Amino acid sequence: MSDYILELNNITKNFPGVKALDNANFTLKKKSIHALLGENGAGKSTLIKIITGVYNQNEGKLFLNNQEKSFSSPNEAMNAGISVVHQERNLIRRFSVGENLMLTNLPKNNLGLIDYNTVAKESKKWLDIMELDIDPNTIVSDLTVAKMQLCEIAKALSLESKILLLDEPTSSLSPQDTKNLFALLKRLVAEQDVSIVFVSHKLEEVFEICDEVTVLRDGKNACESEQITNLNRQKLVKLMIGRDEQIIKSKKNIDFADESLLDLQSINTDLGHKNINLNLKKGEILGLYGLVGAGRTELIKCVLGLDKINSGQILLNNKEIKIKSPKDALEKYKIGYISEDRKKEGLILMHDVLSNAGITVWSNLKKILSFLNDSIVYNKVDPYVKQLEVKTPSYQQIVSNLSGGNQQKISVAKWLASGTDILFIDEPTVGIDIKTKSYLHELIIELSLKGTSIILITSDMPEMISLADRIITMKDFKVVGETINNHNYEEMSSSIMGNIHE
Amino acid sequence: MNNKIPNFVKTNQFGLLILVIVFICIFSFSTDGFTSRFNIYALSRVVALDIMIGLAMMVVILTGGLNLSLGALGVSAAMFGGWCMESMGIPISITIILVLAFGSFLGWINGFVTVRTGVHSFIVTLATMSIYFGFMTLLTEAEAFRKLPEAFTDFGSLKLFNKYISPLLIISVLTCFVLYYIFKYTDIGRKLIAAGANPDAAELSGISVDRMFIYCHMLSGFLAALAGIMLTARIGAAIPSMAGHLGFDWLLPAFLAPVLGGTLLSGGKVTVFGTMLGAILVTLINNGLYLIDVGEFWVRFFLGIILLGAVLLDRAREYFTVKNSIVS
Repeated sequence: MSDYILELNNITKNFPGVKALDNANFTLKKKSIHALLGENGAGKSTLIKIITGVYNQNEGKLFLNNQEKSFSSPNEAMNAGISVVHQERNLIRRFSVGENLMLTNLPKNNLGLIDYNTVAKESKKWLDIMELDIDPNTIVSDLTVAKMQLCEIAKALSLESKILLLDEPTSSLSPQDTKNLFALLKRLVAEQDVSIVFVSHKLEEVFEICDEVTVLRDGKNACESEQITNLNRQKLVKLMIGRDEQIIKSKKNIDFADESLLDLQSINTDLGHKNINLNLKKGEILGLYGLVGAGRTELIKCVLGLDKINSGQILLNNKEIKIKSPKDALEKYKIGYISEDRKKEGLILMHDVLSNAGITVWSNLKKILSFLNDSIVYNKVDPYVKQLEVKTPSYQQIVSNLSGGNQQKISVAKWLASGTDILFIDEPTVGIDIKTKSYLHELIIELSLKGTSIILITSDMPEMISLADRIITMKDFKVVGETINNHNYEEMSSSIMGNIHE
Repeated sequence: MNNKIPNFVKTNQFGLLILVIVFICIFSFSTDGFTSRFNIYALSRVVALDIMIGLAMMVVILTGGLNLSLGALGVSAAMFGGWCMESMGIPISITIILVLAFGSFLGWINGFVTVRTGVHSFIVTLATMSIYFGFMTLLTEAEAFRKLPEAFTDFGSLKLFNKYISPLLIISVLTCFVLYYIFKYTDIGRKLIAAGANPDAAELSGISVDRMFIYCHMLSGFLAALAGIMLTARIGAAIPSMAGHLGFDWLLPAFLAPVLGGTLLSGGKVTVFGTMLGAILVTLINNGLYLIDVGEFWVRFFLGIILLGAVLLDRAREYFTVKNSIVS
């Protein structure tokens, strides 16, 4: 018994109309890394919120170091040594690293003013423990995403936390940064007496770093503190989704000698892209791979006219075009963009399903004097919403009330409805559960088979290798490699990483 | 609006309607003359203007911005109209078209500067408020136009429906219906709302957000100019100070009506009939308090309290939306 630092027994949590957790158990061994897995809506976040004192369970008990506890606020949980590092950054971007680390307990001098020397000294101590080479006086917004993530962990450590909850910590990190993070986590567990709960959708990472696994499905335990060595990927997926995973591979015969549909020639942009050349064939899925900050999304936004192209040409069917705005792209050239950030750029969260799904087709559907009513829009978008199996009580439902997977389906549906010839798809499955993910993969392949040409941006290597026909690698706003995809994971990934690290 | 009664009951507008009825009852019983023909006619003339001003503000609040130059713009347009009719002898109908075009143009300036500079419309319209009003005072030398065509001033004092209602109110109510139609049943109306709700998402979905924002400011200028003409007709003259210094007198009702009506200050949601009911409520309280004879300062005090209350309501609405999304 005494092995466990944290134990949750038979936890049940009810929300109006939903049993989010149903007799769920969770035990965390001292000095271990424990994966908490499950599909969206399986109850992971609810469990984490109970551990961190955001929610109180309706039934069941929580033991910390074998003592029964009940936290009435996140602050209490934090004082008891439990810290969460969220997907969203919780640092104040305009403050320095030191100020952020010491925020809850800023040292003061005799005059009652903040003693910045001590701030720097104290925070340096924690950065050193993590072997992080960051000056505590650096402003947070000047750091890379990866370093911000590490600072968050340093902040948690500085609060003397013994339990760290990491929620999708690698979703915006490059493979190299992920590797560094994992090395650090292992060291923390070994040297600092810390136990870690690790939440991730990327199963490769779970196998790489975790000791034990707990899987939730529909609020119940699908497995409980299983040794990772007893599992493999197939078994794990089956535990999560309740059936076997379907592996999808795009198999097509594209003649790469054919004429290009879209051709970027020696593009230089205001944002710093240098001499970008790439072409897209009809019906092709062209992958754009690169680390975060390689300039992929930025390139697409320049093509859409949101930022300035300084020189070079864009050809569509061998004719030079000038795209002034996304409106231009959609209406004149039938080019659409599915944003990576569905909450900020993809959807209007406060509006209903119908207006979100129909926004791209209003212009086409309008009648005389710009007349447009709901049923005209409904008739147009309904087939696509049905095809994507969007789960919503009605078209009047506000989109922010839907699950992440369904939101993503709507941000895809609106572009299907618009009937574009070329689609730029940016990180289509970030934070999406496995079922919806494989569904979206099938859909992307189906679209390309029907003749839509697709440029796919993803940082998920397995996704890239299963979907793309050809993969362009970008680094520092330049194209550094082009490979025809043979769908062999080992070969492709080493070739791509080779391009990046050359 | 909707046949399903339970849904309507839940809306903000229903709450407002109840409030309006409650206040009518209170003032009918507690004051003499509230229900008199004279008072109802006077009310209808005032409420007509408050509705129009509220709508003019509402269409800019839709973008998440605001239009402080509303009063100055409306008065400038009205003075331009007075000059057209009195000094230039331009026919009434053509004058009205010119005034509305002029108002839209001033609104276009607000919108164009806001969009191009990226500065919040609060600052831009604070500046243009001063510019429009200053320029107008300079050109008119602060003199009123009092010799307007009789046909024009007669319209302002016309009494309809057994002499209970001013035709100005009919113009305002018709405007409500037109705006409701635009926002509910046109492509452009939907785009205006989408652009206001989430400019980034709207832009990437193929909507020209800058253009939509400029349209909103132009519409605001148009409606403010219409309000200016209506006020001129009501008092029978175009007077530089008819909306107070810098047009300040219009600002309180301009904010009160849409915010009470349920328009979100952060943009992306409009309620045309809510704004109408909000304006009615404000006018009622204003009028009732005068009749109870509590004194000018108390009226202002109460209107300020109501605005604060309405803003708290706005926050509550936003909180409610967020809470909803967290639970799911």
